[in-house]
Amino acid sequence: MTSEDVIPTLELREVSIRFRSQPVDLIDRVSLSIRPGRTLALVGESGCGKSVTSLATMGLLPRKAATVTHGQVLFRGENLIDKTTTQMEALRGNRMAMIFQEPMTSLNPVFTIGDQVAEAVRRHRNCTKAEARARALEMFELVRMPAAAKRLDDYPHQLSGGMRQRVMIAMALANDPELLIADEPTTALDVTIQAQILELMRDLLKETGAAMLMITHDLGVVAEIADDVAVMYAGRVVESGPVDAIFNDPQHPYTLGLMGSMPALAGRVQGASRLMTIPGSVPVPEAMPPGCRFATRCPFVSSECDAARPSEREVVPGHRVACIKAPLETHFAQGAA
Amino acid sequence: MLRYITNRVLVAIPTLLLVSIFVFMLQKLLPGDPILVLAGENRDPETIAMLRELYRMNDPLIMQYLYWLGDVLRGNLGISLRTGLPVTELILQKLPVTLQLAVMSMIFAIVIGVPAGVMSAVKKGTFWDYLANFIALSGLSVPNFWLGIMLILLVSVNLGWLPASGYESPWVDPVRSFQTMLMPSIVLGTALAATLMRHTRSSMLGVLQADYVRTARAKGLREKTVIRYHAFRNALLPIITLSAVMFGELLAGAVLTEQIFTIPGFGKMIVDAVFNRDYAVVQGVVLVTATGFIVINLLADILYVLLNPRMRANL
Repeated sequence: MTSEDVIPTLELREVSIRFRSQPVDLIDRVSLSIRPGRTLALVGESGCGKSVTSLATMGLLPRKAATVTHGQVLFRGENLIDKTTTQMEALRGNRMAMIFQEPMTSLNPVFTIGDQVAEAVRRHRNCTKAEARARALEMFELVRMPAAAKRLDDYPHQLSGGMRQRVMIAMALANDPELLIADEPTTALDVTIQAQILELMRDLLKETGAAMLMITHDLGVVAEIADDVAVMYAGRVVESGPVDAIFNDPQHPYTLGLMGSMPALAGRVQGASRLMTIPGSVPVPEAMPPGCRFATRCPFVSSECDAARPSEREVVPGHRVACIKAPLETHFAQGAA
Repeated sequence: MLRYITNRVLVAIPTLLLVSIFVFMLQKLLPGDPILVLAGENRDPETIAMLRELYRMNDPLIMQYLYWLGDVLRGNLGISLRTGLPVTELILQKLPVTLQLAVMSMIFAIVIGVPAGVMSAVKKGTFWDYLANFIALSGLSVPNFWLGIMLILLVSVNLGWLPASGYESPWVDPVRSFQTMLMPSIVLGTALAATLMRHTRSSMLGVLQADYVRTARAKGLREKTVIRYHAFRNALLPIITLSAVMFGELLAGAVLTEQIFTIPGFGKMIVDAVFNRDYAVVQGVVLVTATGFIVINLLADILYVLLNPRMRANL
């Protein structure tokens, strides 16, 4: 799976997105790559641009409010930025699908769940109503919906949050997509249900061979499900690489802080004996630092950090970090002081 | 579902009884003794006593109410003092007129107001949105009588397209009936269309932000389907309740509009009755209108539940 010539399922090349009325690009030259069958976790605090990136990939950003100002979104090598609305509609829910954070409100309250799943099937496949319904039932069984056949005619309000998220997954996977985008799919769920849903998603991805872009702020979820990780801060990817490399050898001060903020993982970060916090908050677009966007909160900051956007360096093959101070080990003595 | 309908009907009964008590008391609260009027100039005590006995005026008030209610339930609303005709008969003459006007006005209001509201929400912030809002505001601001007179001047007097006034039963001459009712319906429907447009717009704007609309788009549904099917079905719910209230109000008749177009409906009838102190007629019209209002709202509640599965859960 390491060969470079495999066409990535999804590749973002230096994508920038600007919202109308904002002075800087909210998403600033973000590059990501997901190969078939792999799961990439996009990690970061709320407001760092994870969801915007995923919505832009799906072509779901309101066109009036946000524009892609730079870069390419390549889906199996085709640039989605050039696609027309009609072409994107034909892709969405078909070859690329998405599940959302809020299972409670993501299903239409006035239609049965069976109809809502069947609708996705009928939209993209040339099939009869009965065939679509049969496919919906098949999907309900696949997502391990208890008493699946009886559930087809239920309305969303008759289901628990976990069940609704299963419906969302069934809907997303109904047309065997090559790419699944999951935007915080377990955040709104109970911890026990979270584990079930994650396990289900992992199994289904293994079965279908689909690639997944998982958006989350929960590093526990990342450890559970991801192959690769990209850490986002204030609209930029600050560090990316295989999950083991990021967890065992975080190289960006922000990643380090993020890991230190996680109780269960704090012990694994060198030099962090107690729970760390990152001082300050994410800069607002009107006051973005000129160089590194993390400079305002970074314990290792120096005057060079404000000079220019830090270029990405590869610490080990596949593990990239956008920090001029990397590798960080050399600075620990000063940083801790 | 059947249980819900039964419950709602049972709840409507006390409301109807309250209305009937109010209408009955209306007659009792009026100054003057109708028996003295009936007894004539001589005011012969024996005649008065006989009349009191005949009209059960000596019975307790509650018994009088029950006798009256019994009559009403048998369809007897009394005799009009002015015309000497049974009130029930008068109402049955006017009811189809008012009903036709109400239905046509409502259709006009819905056909114009709801699509305009949807379009305005979908194209929020564009020229079309501003245009629709401007027209709606104008529709709300223009007084009915002025609009009516202007329409008559333009359409009837200058262009000669439609009759300026009068009424024809749809059973006798449907085309002529439609023609005579068209302008009054537009006059009455304009303000309603404007209100419906504003409400549909805000309802749609709310729904278009909903997560399930985003889900529908993520499924790859065409924008038309997303709006018509996923968004509109949800936005429709509050509109139903509003339309029911509007229709109920139309049933009371429209005094000014009926006067301008000389339509023999409830509005004209009740004004005439009040001026003539024809209390039996006033009572009858109020009773029928209030009942109609309650029934329409009952139907709207049932329709609301049929369209909203979340409500069915608590039945």
